[in-house]
Amino acid sequence: MEKVLDRRHLGDWVERLGSYRVYAPVADGDLWHYEVVGDPGEMRLDHPNTVHSPKGMVFPQREVLFEFEHQKGASPVIDQVLPDPQPSVVFGVRPCDARALTLTDKVFADDFEDPYYRARRNRAAWVGLSCNAPPSPACFCSSVGGSPHSEDGLDILMTELADGYFVTTLTNRGEEIVGSAISLFEDPDREAERELERVHAESRRRMERTIDDLEATPARLREAFESTFWDDESRACIQCGICTYLCPACHCFDINDEVSSSSPLRGRRVRTWDSCQFADFTMHSSGHNPRPDKASRMRQRICHKFLYFVERHHVCQCTGCGRCVSECPVGVDILAVVNRVAGHAR
Amino acid sequence: MPDNTYLPKLARIVDIKTEVGGRRAIKTFRVEFLDGDGFSHRCGQCAMVSVLGKGEAMFSISSSPLLEEYLHFSVLRTGRVTVALHDMEVGDVIGLRGAYGNGFPIEAWEGKNLVFIGGGCGLAPIWSVLQTALARKRDYGDITLFHGARTPGDIVYKDELGELRERMAVHLSVDAGEPGWEEFVGFVPANLIDKKPSSLNAIGVVCGPPIMIRSVIDNLESLGFAGERIFTTVENKMKCGIGKCGRCNIGGSYACKDGPVYSWAELKNLPKEY
Repeated sequence: MEKVLDRRHLGDWVERLGSYRVYAPVADGDLWHYEVVGDPGEMRLDHPNTVHSPKGMVFPQREVLFEFEHQKGASPVIDQVLPDPQPSVVFGVRPCDARALTLTDKVFADDFEDPYYRARRNRAAWVGLSCNAPPSPACFCSSVGGSPHSEDGLDILMTELADGYFVTTLTNRGEEIVGSAISLFEDPDREAERELERVHAESRRRMERTIDDLEATPARLREAFESTFWDDESRACIQCGICTYLCPACHCFDINDEVSSSSPLRGRRVRTWDSCQFADFTMHSSGHNPRPDKASRMRQRICHKFLYFVERHHVCQCTGCGRCVSECPVGVDILAVVNRVAGHAR
Repeated sequence: MPDNTYLPKLARIVDIKTEVGGRRAIKTFRVEFLDGDGFSHRCGQCAMVSVLGKGEAMFSISSSPLLEEYLHFSVLRTGRVTVALHDMEVGDVIGLRGAYGNGFPIEAWEGKNLVFIGGGCGLAPIWSVLQTALARKRDYGDITLFHGARTPGDIVYKDELGELRERMAVHLSVDAGEPGWEEFVGFVPANLIDKKPSSLNAIGVVCGPPIMIRSVIDNLESLGFAGERIFTTVENKMKCGIGKCGRCNIGGSYACKDGPVYSWAELKNLPKEY
């Protein structure tokens, strides 16, 4: 359904979502991040984009998979720890971050379904906010199959108009969330529909950064695989891994045991984010490393997104949010690298 | 709810055999699932072995699927999990999840001669397929094994190799000879060239350290083995075993679920990330 919400009613809507845990972007100085909304009246949707993507709501940076206890002489006991099922609503999600959910879905809900991801995915509704102006000078969603008002991955898309929000429900869950406060919404008139079209068209025109030829990129990367191009491009990289941690689509992880007591043995198995940019990510216990240098690791990050993922899932694994570009301490720009790779066949 | 693939099934160690002692010790663990709650496997598949409190690591299952009541793992003592495993005793309980990966296409090899080449602990990943082929010897042609190690003391499965000699050709080699060693001295690829196994109607199956695998494959090709008839199993670092944690990939192929078994025809079209 399509509705219009007066700006003054945003807080009232959130207030009526009493059974849901509601998240929205909150400013902490210059750093925006998602937090549980305390006072609905304080909720704002004027954020650029959050520094951390909302990926952590479906794939947290640290997550307990199970707890274990082993008394000497007895069989170990293993208790799985699944996320609590309380339904939640995430407001203000930028379309690039919502599209990334459709990509992590392909990884975590393929032939081996990940029950932790699934539980978190099922419990949350995603309410997007169109980017009437690019929220980051580095972003480029329309170059990688998205748009500033993409509906992919969302339950509801909101677009800011002069006096309020145009609200489009995209799933049954989205209809429920609007339906639970339906008296606050009005049906859009022709003027609102025309304004929506105008705002969307203008937002598309404002996207400035572009990939030269996305379709040709996989073949170009394949040709340049053995090129010294990667040595040149990765020279400045300090392997901090921030590009992968801030990426809404990166999904690599590590699994380790944390021990809280040695007798009896008690602890938990924990999954944490990991990064293909770290030297020990692929290192064998023998010391042999299939990706032994910065060049091969940068090539992995970019080929994973623009070649391997395309081969396996027929879609590029970058949504153009621009975080890896704007937050990189040495100025590595994934879009520029992809644009430069053409012609570097060995 | 579907099974949680991250939860290990419990298994008891019922036998431990020290294959190799010293600083590069190798032990073979025989394990049985508790309460019969386990999984079956195909030749060449792997399992994620848990030592609770230490973590997990991926190992090839070295026993044949024909032996349904237990699994074997041969483990080189080298990292956190393997050191903990080496400290375990008969009766101790470990966790297992799997079986993961594609396995060897052993049915497609019926009627063919099989040449197995295992370097060091790399004999373990091809041991299950070797044992299975031997148990069904009528379905295959000649079976030959090359096995090499650093020194005579580093040779694994010594007792079994003695028995194998009565049923098939076994060519051993050591990198460094010792008094009393009467077989080949030199690297495994050189022993292969020395013995020149026929490529006629033959399949080559190799596992070992990455550099040995590459040299063996070069030499198999020079002996006339086509890329489609050379198979290896790639042991990259793994954490999940199910194509999600992102580290075992060779280009676009996840060794944990698309592999670990690749023909050379497949592998040579992938980047050299192994």
